[in-house]
Amino acid sequence: MAFVSEWIRRLGYLLRRRAMEDELRREMEAHRALMDEPRAFGNTLRLREEARDAWGWTWLDDFVQDTRFALRTLRRTPGFTLTAVVTLALGIGSNIGMFSLVNGMLLRPLYERPDEVVAVSSRSTAPNGELRGISYPNYLDLQKGTADIFVDLAAYSTVFVGVDVGDGPRRTMASHVTANFFHVFGAPLARGRSFTSEEAQPGAAVRVAIISYSLWRQRGADANILDRQIQINGEPFTVVGIASPGFTGTGIPGPDVWLPLGVHWAHLVARDAHELTVVGRLRAGASIETAAPVLATVARRLEREFPAANSGYTLKLAAPSRLAFLPGSGSGALTATLASLLMLMPAIVLLVACLNLVDLLLARGQSRRQEMAVRSSLGASRTRLARQLVTEGLLLSIVGAAVGLLLSRWATGALLASLRLVIPVGVSLPALDVDWRVLIGTVAFSLLATLIFGAWPASRLTRRASTSDLMQHVRNEGSRGTGGGKIGNALVIGQVALSVLLLACGGLFVMSALSVVNADPGFRLDGGLLVEVDPGLAGYDEARGRQLHLALVDRLRTIPGVEAVTIASSFPFSGMSDSRDVAPFGVADARPYTDGAVFIAVGRDYARVLGLPILGGRDFTDAELAGSSERVAIIDDVLAKGLWPKENALGRMIQFLDGEESARKQPIRIVGIVPAVKHSPGNPRPSAHVYVPLGQHYESAMTLQLRTADTGAEPAMLATVARAIRDIDPRLPILRAETWRGHLDSGLDVWIYRAGARVFSAFGGIALLLAVIGIYGVKSYVVSRRTREFGIRIAIGAHPRAVLWQVLREGGRVTAVGIAIGVLLALGAGQLLQGFLYGVHAVEPVVLITAPLILLASSLLASYIPALHATKVDPTVALRSE
Amino acid sequence: MPRETGLPPGTLMMLVLRILSTQPLHGYAIAQRIHQLTADELRVEEGSLYPALQKLLIKGWVKANWRESESGRQVREYRITPSGRRQLETEMAEYRRTASAIGLILKEA
Repeated sequence: MAFVSEWIRRLGYLLRRRAMEDELRREMEAHRALMDEPRAFGNTLRLREEARDAWGWTWLDDFVQDTRFALRTLRRTPGFTLTAVVTLALGIGSNIGMFSLVNGMLLRPLYERPDEVVAVSSRSTAPNGELRGISYPNYLDLQKGTADIFVDLAAYSTVFVGVDVGDGPRRTMASHVTANFFHVFGAPLARGRSFTSEEAQPGAAVRVAIISYSLWRQRGADANILDRQIQINGEPFTVVGIASPGFTGTGIPGPDVWLPLGVHWAHLVARDAHELTVVGRLRAGASIETAAPVLATVARRLEREFPAANSGYTLKLAAPSRLAFLPGSGSGALTATLASLLMLMPAIVLLVACLNLVDLLLARGQSRRQEMAVRSSLGASRTRLARQLVTEGLLLSIVGAAVGLLLSRWATGALLASLRLVIPVGVSLPALDVDWRVLIGTVAFSLLATLIFGAWPASRLTRRASTSDLMQHVRNEGSRGTGGGKIGNALVIGQVALSVLLLACGGLFVMSALSVVNADPGFRLDGGLLVEVDPGLAGYDEARGRQLHLALVDRLRTIPGVEAVTIASSFPFSGMSDSRDVAPFGVADARPYTDGAVFIAVGRDYARVLGLPILGGRDFTDAELAGSSERVAIIDDVLAKGLWPKENALGRMIQFLDGEESARKQPIRIVGIVPAVKHSPGNPRPSAHVYVPLGQHYESAMTLQLRTADTGAEPAMLATVARAIRDIDPRLPILRAETWRGHLDSGLDVWIYRAGARVFSAFGGIALLLAVIGIYGVKSYVVSRRTREFGIRIAIGAHPRAVLWQVLREGGRVTAVGIAIGVLLALGAGQLLQGFLYGVHAVEPVVLITAPLILLASSLLASYIPALHATKVDPTVALRSE
Repeated sequence: MPRETGLPPGTLMMLVLRILSTQPLHGYAIAQRIHQLTADELRVEEGSLYPALQKLLIKGWVKANWRESESGRQVREYRITPSGRRQLETEMAEYRRTASAIGLILKEA
């Protein structure tokens, strides 16, 4: 209490300081007047200052004074200030940008109090511990049995739907959710309402939808969107709500649309339709550990009461996985590793920026020696002088950080927008807004920068502020060639080395991106077209969908110029694929292939359209394609060698270990073997494939693949094909229509490498720019310090060109050392990055030669201008200047 | 020749509080009073007195008011507050304990 009231009094003194000081002055005057010998009263100004110290605001006075002085100083040297601010903006901005990305993807909670939210899964009690979904009736029983530990227990199922908001259907990630779903996450709705329990009742068929904030913004942020209709799978749905910005559900990426659980699937009421994912919010005090036994009890009861559906399965709790594309809960060690790896690159840029500022400040400090000496002889302590310099640094950092914040907002926005373009489906991504974490990060980066670039020069410059500095002559003579120049060189070496490092890393990624695009996919790309359709999105059921697929193939085959047509459930480089673990059938001790073979249902002529020779066996027969024969498959040689390393696989039997229930562990005869193709361009080795005939597996979304005779006329042919499809059903959504090469080029895999190349090159470019500024600064400074020397040399007959060469040579030597160190660093980094690169060696001569050359050229340019100044020195002026 | 008070600031604050506990006084009078009470042994410098007074004000142990003195001059008079009295008691008790402990050592050792 006493402490608080003391502070209130202190604040009072601060706010009424003028009156208080006046009072102090009057009081001391009175005291003086009362004394016998008033002169014995000390220096009143000094006494007042000492008395004022008791108020405890001296530091603030000093700070305000320092800031004012720093502002004046910086305004007097606009060139220096601008350079410093730009340098810091780039350095700090790079870090903020990457940090916003790390924050949005890895750190920021996706919803309120994330520790309480857990996912419930159904896990086999068998040793392999296989996971499955939870059926709706099981979910209801689970909800009843766990009311004590969960505030709310919601269920959802994520599917792909065709969403049309007026510009054609787009495949979009959607979640069917129970009515309390949004409540579990703290009701993250920007507008409108959540679903009612009537809407969520299975079979209710009330067509309402909640859309993501980003989808709403992409569609023009219509203020009256609520109660409007959008088309989903060809049916009108009423929009009843908009989710909060950046809400993605449990993980990233999240759905773009939420629908009530009751819209589709009357079959959900079946006890054995294990299709739902269950998430819940734990009650206060409950934890995963305390809840586990309760769940086990419920699981045992379910096993007992419904053995057919539940025997052999128990219920497990886990934190929901944050990144849908990474295994695990996405928290803890993995997150930390990923975050620090990502932050490494901008940290190097910040280091380069700081080295640059140390350069600038040291050079500038030389010319401020006199000022320092004057202030110190007037009684300023060393800490006071250092504080002044640090205040200046802090001001620069703050301005730099503010500009950097703007830069980074723009850069992350651009990155996210480019990601949205290549993701093949509509998804919601977390917001990369500036939140308190980013703000704290920004402040931390600025303070860190100030510490690095401010503290060192401050301690150096104040140490030697001595009386000799008062005399200008001594100053100029005394400091020549000592200290400053050497440190400047060391800093330039550091900058050059780090720039080479970043440029080389950027180069490796650029080469990766290039080799991904140009990689041999295992089949001929030229002349290939693909068109993706999804009759399900237009309301086709399986039987009608199958008919349509075949009708489309027949229709496209009649187009003149088309050599061959096939249809398949996926195409290489689509970014998504189905896969199966495969094992020989009926062999007791056979080794299974558990890396997941890419699983594709294909029509006739698949190998022919891709231009793959059949290595053994044959294509599927009509009966097989219709699904009326025994189960058959064509596999590629990667899978064949994996299963039977030494024998011919043709004619042998295999089985699937996972995938749809009905096809699991059934004998499948191998009728053909084809060469391997790459399914993902970033994968250095071809993946294993297993192809089954159309009749054995239904997929609504199919890709029609065409090979044309005339490779030049692909765009025209695409238009013809689209027309032909619309002739058959004008409502049928065409999800994509492109050439094979275009498809490869615009895919997610290539985007990742391109994004890597762009980010690294951007950071490398920034570092290069900073290094050039640094070299220029140091050289200019050195030349200006040696004006007298150059003047004398030119006066006694040195050719200006000799002086020019001397300056360039000195600059070149420093750069060369930096480059040598940088190349060594780049070699090490190449080894580390090897795992992320494609088709590029760690030691890549092109990169290791180009990056140093770029630096050498830029550094020569940067020292050329100061060198030119050196040759223009007028001897008489130079000599008289002292 | 009176000595400068080489007193630690805390001790000076205690002395001032003690003097103000009998009657309100202005700054010059406080200095005079210390001078008299110590039989010219201690002289308080203005440079120590005023910071100490400001500190006492901040702490809320004294209050200050302007008043006209007998000689018709405006002086700023300090008056001890209840919390100042409590503080004085604590400090004096503390001082006595320390002093007697030191005394014991000086006598016995």
